[in-house]
Order: sequence, then C-alpha cells, then structure tokens
Amino acid sequence: MIKIKELSDVNLFTSGHTACPGCGVALSIRNAIRVLGKDTAVYVPASCAVVFGTTFPYGAWKVPFFHTAFENTGACLTGMQAAFEKKGKKVTVVGFAGDGGTYDIGLQSMSGAAERNEDVIYICLDNEAYMNTGIQRSGGTPFGAWTTTTPVGSKIQGNQRFKKNLGDIVVAHEVPYYATLSIGHPLDFIRKVEKAKNMKGFRFLHMFTPCIPGWKMDPSKTVEVTKRAVESGMWTLYEVENGEKKVTYKPGKMRSVKDYLNMQGRFRHMSEEDVNKLQMWVCKKWNLHYREKGAPDVCEIAPHDERHAITEEHREMHGP
Amino acid sequence: MFEVRFHGRGGQGAVMAAQTLAEAAVNEDNYAVAFPFFGAERRGAPVLAFTRIDAKKIYSKTQVYAPDCVIVLDDSLLDTIDVVSGLKPDGMVIINSKEDPDDIDLGISFRTATVNATSIALEILKAPITNTAILGAFAKATGLITIESLESSIKEKFGGKLGERAGERNALAARMAYEKTIIGTSRGIKKLESKKQWLPAYQDIPIGGALIEGKTQAGLIGPGSFIENKVSGWATFRPLRNKEKCTMCLLCWFYCPEGTIIRISDRGDLMTNYDYCKGCGICANECPVDAIKMTRARS
Repeated sequence: MIKIKELSDVNLFTSGHTACPGCGVALSIRNAIRVLGKDTAVYVPASCAVVFGTTFPYGAWKVPFFHTAFENTGACLTGMQAAFEKKGKKVTVVGFAGDGGTYDIGLQSMSGAAERNEDVIYICLDNEAYMNTGIQRSGGTPFGAWTTTTPVGSKIQGNQRFKKNLGDIVVAHEVPYYATLSIGHPLDFIRKVEKAKNMKGFRFLHMFTPCIPGWKMDPSKTVEVTKRAVESGMWTLYEVENGEKKVTYKPGKMRSVKDYLNMQGRFRHMSEEDVNKLQMWVCKKWNLHYREKGAPDVCEIAPHDERHAITEEHREMHGP
Repeated sequence: MFEVRFHGRGGQGAVMAAQTLAEAAVNEDNYAVAFPFFGAERRGAPVLAFTRIDAKKIYSKTQVYAPDCVIVLDDSLLDTIDVVSGLKPDGMVIINSKEDPDDIDLGISFRTATVNATSIALEILKAPITNTAILGAFAKATGLITIESLESSIKEKFGGKLGERAGERNALAARMAYEKTIIGTSRGIKKLESKKQWLPAYQDIPIGGALIEGKTQAGLIGPGSFIENKVSGWATFRPLRNKEKCTMCLLCWFYCPEGTIIRISDRGDLMTNYDYCKGCGICANECPVDAIKMTRARS
C-alpha cells in the first residue's frame, strides 16, 4: 500500500487550472491521477472538470484527454479501451464524471459499460448537484438541500427527495469493484485508487467532493466537511469486491447530522422536523453499513457541536 | 447615454453591483439596463458586467465597448487585463485599491478614483465582497447618482435577497466607501499591449481538435499548458508556513487542490509557489500542528 510520502511528485494535472478556490473536485482529480500514474487516458463528460481543466487550446492534463458529450462516459470509455487494446497498448482508461453525469444523464451509458464488464475505471465525482450550470438538483442531492431548482419557499423548503442509492445500482451489475472514497481519509483514498488500478474489469470509484459555491461554505473547510460527512454517516466508506462488502472505515461514534449540516449554507433553512427526518434516514444508512450482527440499532440525535457553525456574518453574506 | 463596465472576479458580486446601480438610476427617474458577460466563470476568475443609464429609453443591447466609466473591483486585474480598453477620453476609472489614484499606472492618464473597498468589506461585511463599497465610490466620483438613492436601492436589493441586516450593512459599506474615496489622475507610463492570442486557421488544428503539446507566439497550448496561467491574483489570503513547527506530514501537499505546495524530495522540504495559490486556506485548516497561518495577500 502506498503512503502519502511515497506518492509521485509529478503533476499530471498541472497547476494554473481555473477551479474555484478550495474545489473538492480538483483535489480529488489531482490525487487520483497521482496514484494512477502516467499510463492513463482520461475521459471527462460535460462538467466543471472539463471547464476548469481544459479550455481550448489550454489544458491542465498531461495525459491523453478526451471529451465529447454529457451522457456517454461509459460508451466513450468502452471505445477508448477497445482502441488501446487493438493498438496493443497497456493503458488505464479512466472516466471522471460528475454526479449529474452519473446519477441521471449518464446512467444508461454507465450501466451498459458495467453490464459488459468493460476493463475501465469509472470515477464519479459526487458534489450533490449540477454545479457547473449553476447549482441545479440532481439525483445525488440530499434531502433538505437548497438548489436553484429546489428553492426555499413558504410551503416547500429545499429538496424533498432523499439521495439516490447509486452504490446499490452499480453493485447490482455484479461489477468486480465498487468503492466509496473521501478526500478527508487520504490513506483509504490512496489504497482504493491503487486497488482499482491493479484490478481488471469495470471498477467504480465513488468520490465525495464538496463544492464551495454550491454548498455555500468556507473554502478552507473542504476537507473538514468531508470528514464530518463520514463521522455523521451522511457518507459511508466501504467497498464491494466481487459481491463481497467490506466497511473500510467505521467512525467511532455516530455524530449528530446537525454537525455536518451547520457547516453549509445550503441547509441553513432546515426546520427541526426536517433535520430529524434526515437524521432518521442517516441512522438507517448507518445501521445498514456499520451495524455488527446482533448489535442494536444506533440513532443519534445528540446536542451538536457549535464550534464550526456558520456565523451570523457568513449567513448574511451567503444568503439562503 | 452613460455606459459603465465592471471588471471583477467571480464571487465579488460584479453582476449584483451592475444591477444595483441600474436600480439606483431607475429610482432617480432614469432608464437603465444591467447584464453580465456570460462565460464559464468560476469563483475568482475575471468577469465582466455592464450597466447603461439614460434619460431616454435604451435600445442598445450589445456589450459595452466604449464605456464612460470603468469600475475595477480588484486591482490585481490591472496587471492582466487592459481595463481601460475603449474608455472614452473624458471617461473615469474607479478602482478598488489601497493606493492613491496618482500612483496608479493605467498606461493612459484618466480621471481616476480609488478606495480600499476590500478593507471596508472585510471590516463591515467580514468577507472580501466589494461590490457595494465600490458603488459608494462611484456615487462620489461621478455624481451621477446620489448616495441616498444608492443606499436605498442597496437596502432594497440586498435586503430583499439576504435579509434586512445584510442590506443595512451593505448600505453602510457603500456610505463608508463614499466618504473615503480619493479622486485624482492616473499615470500613463506603462506601455499598453494587447494580449497576444493564438488564432489558428482551420488547417492548423488537427482533426477532431486534438491538440498536442505546442508553443505559439501567445504561449503554450495543449496538454499541461495551464501551467502558464498564473492565478495568484485570485487570492485574498495566502499561507505562510512556519518551518520550525512543520513535521513534514505532507497533508498540506496532499490536500492542496492547486499544486501550490511543492515537495522537494531530495531536500525533504516543502516549497510554496504563490503563482498558483488561490488562497482557499485548506492547508492552514488541516495542518495538524498549526504550522500554517493565512495572511493577507498583497498587503
């Protein structure tokens, strides 16, 4: 297993790209490509990553890079892999699609590639809405979150649907590898990318990538909010290898979901009732992933930690 | 007709400023339009917005190419963009800068007003969002709208969107900037050159637009060419590392989304390349021994 110290110094995704300060997607891409190495070919569908990473004629990628349309990540990866195979080249073919390009728009193409068990790595950069086009709700948007298409009104406040369980959809294709990753847990992150690299068949890496303008939060908290998501159970770290599920990191004690919500402006309107509703959903997810056989269900609605709550000033500046 | 062009960075509120100015003008019985330049703007990237004000109905729908007034929300833009491009000879430039107008070199002498809007915004709004403060400077420098009607339109616009208190604070920021604005004349020493662009004929581009690494008169193109794009101007803050405290855990190196922190393996040390730092502060927030402090960039 590679440690942080053993990672390569070479920047295959160069500096000077135009992502927002504190971008979780840029952070994930940089480190994923660090582990994957130079014998990699990348496909990116329409997303922030294509805008800040490549603006014709400039580009940040130092590996072969391809981009066409929004909905065809799975198909393009298939084609690229077939071409490299025909040419006799050993290349890791990787697609970096957003949550919109995976949960909704690219689902059919991803499903096709997964079902055929193509020898590619599919990475979903999940920032929980269509951020590139200005924060619209996607299938990955959590309950209660404000987006421009789930606004906060007097009757309905924020997104009314719960986050789609993409993990189970992917795993249902009986793919060799599915894993969820968090940038707040570097060793786990590196290990999973490395493991995917050394495997064959369709490998799916599901990365949790905070978005500063979309989540309405302080740019310095990108990593902290990811850790908070894992500790509260909003994001769970596990992997499914050939149908066998393994939890790779279990937080010691479940943290109140409020600790996660109060770092972000997109949840600030949520009523006590809605928070409890979300907490119930989180508890269900937590028990599904983390509960050991015979152990009782956990559900924490504990008093939360005020330390990193959004300040009054921050609220005023960032609005509802 | 009075035309205004705003130069800002994504997130500073140039678009809101353009709209607020238009509303203030309408409150004084004028006609006005405001609109942004649509592009793929990220936070911190240079953006444009426009306002037109007239006593008659306005039929012009184009971008503003020959403004009567240019408003610059961030003085770091002066180094990379020719902000006075097309400005009428008797036009006015309003800049968010801590310097006096007479110390600012625009390449041509223009009537210029400066105000340290970033400091005002940090003091009153606790965030480097300078749009309302700079409008106060506009009211003072041009006299086109009164500060009172500006204040009321800020309260209306920002108060309606962000809550009453935010509206009042933003109005206060405008009033404070109004009082602190200095008016003078810019210097015209530096040579203005238009930015070189790579304008290939269709034969120059490979099939499918597939670019390989190349160098043109306008600089690098193709894979890895973003390395020539210096983004230090985006930063309000920048990290300073205390070498004594640092334990070389490399977490900052791992967490930096920009690749600003560079590892020099053979010396076992870290180096920070501020050319690429956007000042997000993840490194300072995540450092386990508090060896990194954020300080104001360009102070």
